[in-house]
Amino acid sequence: MEDAPTTTSSTARRPIWQRPVSRRAVLATGATGAAAAALAVLWKGNDLSQILNQVRDLTHGYQGALTSERVRMAHLLRRAGFGATRTELDHYVAMGQTAATEAILNYTKTSNAALESQLPTIDLGSSTPPTAAAIQSWWLQRMTLSARPLEEKMTLFWHGLLTSGLDKAGSAQLFTQNQLFRSMALGNFDELLKAVSKNPAMMVYLDTETNRKGKPNENYARELMELFTTGIGHYTEDDVRESARSFTGWTLQGGKQLRYATASQFVPRLHDAGAKTFMGKTGTFTGDDIVEMLVPLRATAVRLTTRLFGFFAYPNPDPEIVNHLADTFQKTHYNVGAVLREIFTIDAFYSDKAYRSLVKTPAELVAQTLKATGANAKTYTAAAVAMAPMGQVLFYPPNVAGWPGGTSWINSSTLLTRINFANAATQRGQGSLAAQSLGQLSDTLLDANVSPTTRDGLQSFEAAHPDDRTGLLFMVLATPEFQLN
Amino acid sequence: MFSRRDFFKQGLLPVFAGSAVPSVFANGVAAAAADSPSATPSDRVLVLVQLAGGNDGLNTVIPFQDGAYHDARPTLRQDQGVLRLNAQLGLHPNLKGLKASWDAGQLAIVQGVGYPNPNLSHFASMSIWETASVQGGIGDGWLGRYLNYLDQVGESPNHALEGVSAGSLVPPELRSKTPVTALQSLKTFRLQPVSEHGTQVDVENPLMKFYGAFKSAGPAPFGALLDTTLQEALQASHALQATDASYQPKAPYPANSPIASSLKLVAETIVSGLGVRVAHVTLGGFDNHAREKAVHDKLLLDLDQALAAFMQDLQGHGLGDRVLVMTWSEFGRRVKENGSAGTDHGTAAPMFLLGAPVQGGLYGQQPSLTDLDNGNLKFGTDFRSVYASVLQDYLKAPAADLLGGNFEILPLLKA
Repeated sequence: MEDAPTTTSSTARRPIWQRPVSRRAVLATGATGAAAAALAVLWKGNDLSQILNQVRDLTHGYQGALTSERVRMAHLLRRAGFGATRTELDHYVAMGQTAATEAILNYTKTSNAALESQLPTIDLGSSTPPTAAAIQSWWLQRMTLSARPLEEKMTLFWHGLLTSGLDKAGSAQLFTQNQLFRSMALGNFDELLKAVSKNPAMMVYLDTETNRKGKPNENYARELMELFTTGIGHYTEDDVRESARSFTGWTLQGGKQLRYATASQFVPRLHDAGAKTFMGKTGTFTGDDIVEMLVPLRATAVRLTTRLFGFFAYPNPDPEIVNHLADTFQKTHYNVGAVLREIFTIDAFYSDKAYRSLVKTPAELVAQTLKATGANAKTYTAAAVAMAPMGQVLFYPPNVAGWPGGTSWINSSTLLTRINFANAATQRGQGSLAAQSLGQLSDTLLDANVSPTTRDGLQSFEAAHPDDRTGLLFMVLATPEFQLN
Repeated sequence: MFSRRDFFKQGLLPVFAGSAVPSVFANGVAAAAADSPSATPSDRVLVLVQLAGGNDGLNTVIPFQDGAYHDARPTLRQDQGVLRLNAQLGLHPNLKGLKASWDAGQLAIVQGVGYPNPNLSHFASMSIWETASVQGGIGDGWLGRYLNYLDQVGESPNHALEGVSAGSLVPPELRSKTPVTALQSLKTFRLQPVSEHGTQVDVENPLMKFYGAFKSAGPAPFGALLDTTLQEALQASHALQATDASYQPKAPYPANSPIASSLKLVAETIVSGLGVRVAHVTLGGFDNHAREKAVHDKLLLDLDQALAAFMQDLQGHGLGDRVLVMTWSEFGRRVKENGSAGTDHGTAAPMFLLGAPVQGGLYGQQPSLTDLDNGNLKFGTDFRSVYASVLQDYLKAPAADLLGGNFEILPLLKA
């Protein structure tokens, strides 16, 4: 047996990374210009929410950008959707902010027939499931063209939170799960969780399809609490084990292959109907009972609403904002649409702190680029593949925690890939770029709001290459401003 | 070098001295690119292989004579073909390459590695291993701190290629203010040309200006993040393009194996003399809660074949003496298999250290399969003891400083 290690609490020396210039010391000097550069280097790769928490008072060169009505609308469409074409932006601006926000939220009143008629058919009735490429390009086309941007954005949110992936589940299962997320995107969270618990993609991804009476499997039970509801620190290992017993009994339906089944069923003889003790309560719980005990917990409300706000506005909101959103969540029987209405209407959403405070995810970057360049069926297939070296493959999150996001989207490899994608996409563009002036491109894609250097550089490029609209659009899409959302 | 290290130890050297200022690493890149591999035999490379998802240690280094193992693993036990290390322990049948390294004295196996109060969450436990802190969290990674240390003492070429990872993300254990490059291919790591009517248009310089201005004009921390990242990317791509692209693998790497492709990319980076000091590759898929056997067998086969090719390749290039491979996983698995022919999250597991620098053999103690903690193994060796041994005896770095504490040094490495 090795001796137990001893730590150096007795030594006065502190580890290197805590010496001599601490983060706090750097912060105290303020951070503009060169100091801001040092900060970013210091924090590079760290979790975005932690970074922004520490730099919440920092200023940037775009104070007051969101006082412009048009910029506010572009900001809303970037966050609630995947950006906008010039026509879409004009359309929503003409509606006015209040009506536009309501239209975005109440999207079931908006017809999506134009999109649906263009989409390729995904056939689940065939003996072979659709290819991964087929469902990836299908979804990317939806993101790019949907008249209901929030529907697709929330579907992506749920995919990143209630993860399942092609590494275990089949493409037909993930397609079915994607439709489930879409159909319940703004509904009540308890109902969504109950449905997801019985969803074949999830049942394969986190092994509930093998979870049987007398043979409990802890995988789903653990992640349901750690990642989907309360977060770590609110349950014990015994709770994990008892929850696993409660979820027994659901199996995939039909004798098809494991990865093909797209329906599930409850088989009473496979369910452990015995008494379980979960979070201090004892009863003959089912999986639904576990969900009904987890969703009302304040920890769940705080965790989910913090994540929603971080996804749509900026990471690490002040406690007052979280409390307000968590209250809304709990008062509305866990209604996600009600929380989103609050997020899109509180002042913080349009504050300076919110402006360009998120890195465009690969999905956002690609969809907005394709809005700008135009696309055909082949483009969507190629673009879905091109997302992989940016760090995001649809239906294939890196692990059950989803994409880490934030600053992790930006490293030397992914940044080159993002810029090279703009190059390829503009060269293969399908749209009528020739009609777009620099002013129009900048208005639609950059809020006509860039650093003087970028503005001058784009003007110089246009002057030097007056016929090269493709090159000009590339330059616009390659700007640092466009990398942010 | 010694004097700078001396300054550093006395706390006289400011942290930012020699940090990633582009002009500094531009020189570093040039110097590194000019070096042939044989010109820098003292440059040691640590290659980290992350077995993500929680590798089943008991089915990797197998206590095949222990009745408790057979009782706990009615369907998952390996009955046939275990590659014997001694009378009690053997390697999984698919680890033939590692067994050959063992026979050559180039494989160290540290048994029962873990940490106090084990955390059964993938992400909490990964974070603990990545930061070498039992609190986990978002601090710098333990190897990020090492890269940062190299910058501070002036012992590194100080450019974006001293830390590399295969893939699209920079792994948390390499995280610090020192730049690290995620590599997917050396050939595509460049800004693709933009042409107008067949003539190439200069976009690199305008973009450098845009990003440079955004450093202060953009919102913190993104303005500076984007600027420094673009500079690192262009510097690294120039270095890669200036490098003689003559790398030819000296061993056949398996096809259709992501881990083999990753290790081949790392080998290419090392052989090309780009100054890499720490490399990271990931093999995922170890979270086998159900139907474990077929999946785990395949993962270990892929791992073994990829490592064998990698070691043979480096030896063929005469670089075997300066590369150490270390495997880690966030935890092992439950001793008793579950009802799904899989295993739930567990605790202690073995680590492999592979290569010519290694003093082959078994270290630590195989944990008892009957004296358990809630069904899980009790760890015997703290993972930070392994880190400390590598930092001190292989990388010649101040282990206690970098790990924030003193941990027992194991004689894993040749003097």
